[in-house]
Amino acid sequence: MQASDFTDHISRRFNQDIEELRNGVLAMGGLVESQLSKAIAAIVTGDSELGLQVANDDYKVNDLEVSIDEGCSRVLATRSPAAGDLRLIVAIIKTITDLERIGDEAEKIGFLASRLAGMDRPPDSYRELKTLGNHVLHMVRDSMNTFARLDVDDAFAVVREDERVDEEYESIQRQCITFMMEDPRSIKRVMNVTWAARSLERIGDHAKNICEYVIYMVQGRDVRHTGISTANELDENETQ
Amino acid sequence: MSAASKKLIAGTILAIAVGGLVGWLYSATLLGLLVAALLIIAIYMRKLLLFERALRHGDVESIGYGDGVWQQLYSQFKQERERSNRYRKQARRLVKEVQKSTYAMPDGAVVIDGDNEIVTCNRAAKNLIGLKRKKDRGQKLDNIFRHPQITELLQQNDASQSVDVESPLRDNEWLNCRIVPYGANQKLVLIRDVTDRITLNKVRRDFVANASHELRSPLTVISGYLETLTDDPEVPDELAKPLAQMQVQARRMTSIVKDLLELSRLEGDGQASMDDRVDVAFLVATAVQAFSSVADDGPEILSTIKSDALLLGAESDIDSILHNLLANAVRHTDADGEIEITWRTDENGGELIVRDTGEGIAAEHLVRLTERFFRVDRGRSRGDGGFGLGLAIVKHAIERHGGELHIESEPGEGSEFRCIFPASRLVAA
Repeated sequence: MQASDFTDHISRRFNQDIEELRNGVLAMGGLVESQLSKAIAAIVTGDSELGLQVANDDYKVNDLEVSIDEGCSRVLATRSPAAGDLRLIVAIIKTITDLERIGDEAEKIGFLASRLAGMDRPPDSYRELKTLGNHVLHMVRDSMNTFARLDVDDAFAVVREDERVDEEYESIQRQCITFMMEDPRSIKRVMNVTWAARSLERIGDHAKNICEYVIYMVQGRDVRHTGISTANELDENETQ
Repeated sequence: MSAASKKLIAGTILAIAVGGLVGWLYSATLLGLLVAALLIIAIYMRKLLLFERALRHGDVESIGYGDGVWQQLYSQFKQERERSNRYRKQARRLVKEVQKSTYAMPDGAVVIDGDNEIVTCNRAAKNLIGLKRKKDRGQKLDNIFRHPQITELLQQNDASQSVDVESPLRDNEWLNCRIVPYGANQKLVLIRDVTDRITLNKVRRDFVANASHELRSPLTVISGYLETLTDDPEVPDELAKPLAQMQVQARRMTSIVKDLLELSRLEGDGQASMDDRVDVAFLVATAVQAFSSVADDGPEILSTIKSDALLLGAESDIDSILHNLLANAVRHTDADGEIEITWRTDENGGELIVRDTGEGIAAEHLVRLTERFFRVDRGRSRGDGGFGLGLAIVKHAIERHGGELHIESEPGEGSEFRCIFPASRLVAA
């Protein structure tokens, strides 16, 4: 399946509608990416203003979700799409929900960043959070790239990547527990760090979901909740 | 007429004449003429068909050289063809060279069409924003290079605008993007790695902020002791003057440091406190009162409030704008002059205007006026408080509100500073 397949209808208006929806999702993805990138920067550099800005800008993501959702309903009602088009619309409806959640988590991280900025900073300046954050940011970017290019191989790669994010999250969690046991006075601060890490981990899950929708959209197969080994198997069958 | 053409015509006439003569001998002149003409037509037709077939197979050599006009036709055609082949080869080589050089350019270049769909890109673009040459052809550029600012830039389609965005591939790298429209509905997107510039700027900003911050505490101590010393009656009289001088200079330095800190705060990216509803009319009134009471023998300060609209922004910034502009106006206007400050709004936005009848500014200085530490008259006594940071602060404060600063001035006539704020920042009282 190619991106141009979606714009191969006799009705030009239908082509435009579908193309607009696709562009809308990707624009929303771009906004979410920049929100996430700012949120991570805010927490790592201790920039409370930037953090609050991210939190205040979340409404833009929400607005986009509502307008794309409306567009999808309109296409469903007026065009009764079938096959690939229907899968695209279904995938878009699901993708924007996940994108909006990513936006919410970014908002949360921004808020936590502004709170953490007022507290003591650890000597490592949240290096682990930065690594995890960048990792997750790249997952989100890659998931939007697979959406744009309909690249199933890359989609599987992102799905697999989520395991590594989970591992990193575990390790931050363990580290935080150690900190809290060593110095109970730091509990308040470290709790915020664990919340931020938790949000990042959730974002990884959402990025993974988006990739699963892309696989569904291109191949018509549902690979959700099938476990990573099945995903691998499917991927191998596909490439053979 | 060439010899070959003459020969052709002569030959044809001769052949027909011979045909007619033979026919006359057999008392059938017309038939003779007709047969001769048909024969000639048949011969020419055969040559024509041969020529056509040779052209079709691209093999002019194979029919060899006939005679007369036909030979000339063949050889001319062959020459023409060789020449065009040579040109085509040259053109192809040139195109290849150009392609190779754009491909090797260190800056990313992407060609997009009127719908912002990618036509082609060079290697640097692939490396900088992760485009795939084959796969991404026909995709919209901002579907792959997703950033709200890029989408906005593509909509504006203005070659003079450029934006700095974070690299989508690598952390802590920055790209500068510019869109150049050309040809029929084609656009060239130029992408340049500006990480060095951005980092340098940040380092400079951090340095100024840190240095100013570090200077503040020793200054406080020095000023404090100077104050105690001047008040101390046991200090000998001959020290009184130096002490007073030192105090003036310490105060000056404190205010420079304060301005520098203010400037680095304005330059920061944060915009958290930008949603106050600022009552500009009230701020103008307070500022005018403050300046009138300080400069009793100074110029007269008038205020014209034509709007009660509120401005969404940071109150401290607006106050700082007013304060700096008024201080400049008072400093450069004689006692018999006049300063007028106006606040007005319409559907296009709001304008805060400070106009004076002072000495004015020469045109060549206008451009550099908002640079930090730029002073029109370097020799001017620094005792009067100006040190070239005021307008830099004003400019940054206005830009933070999405506005612009326009300066008009005529030496000897006075100056006008207009701060223009966008309509989106205005709310009705």
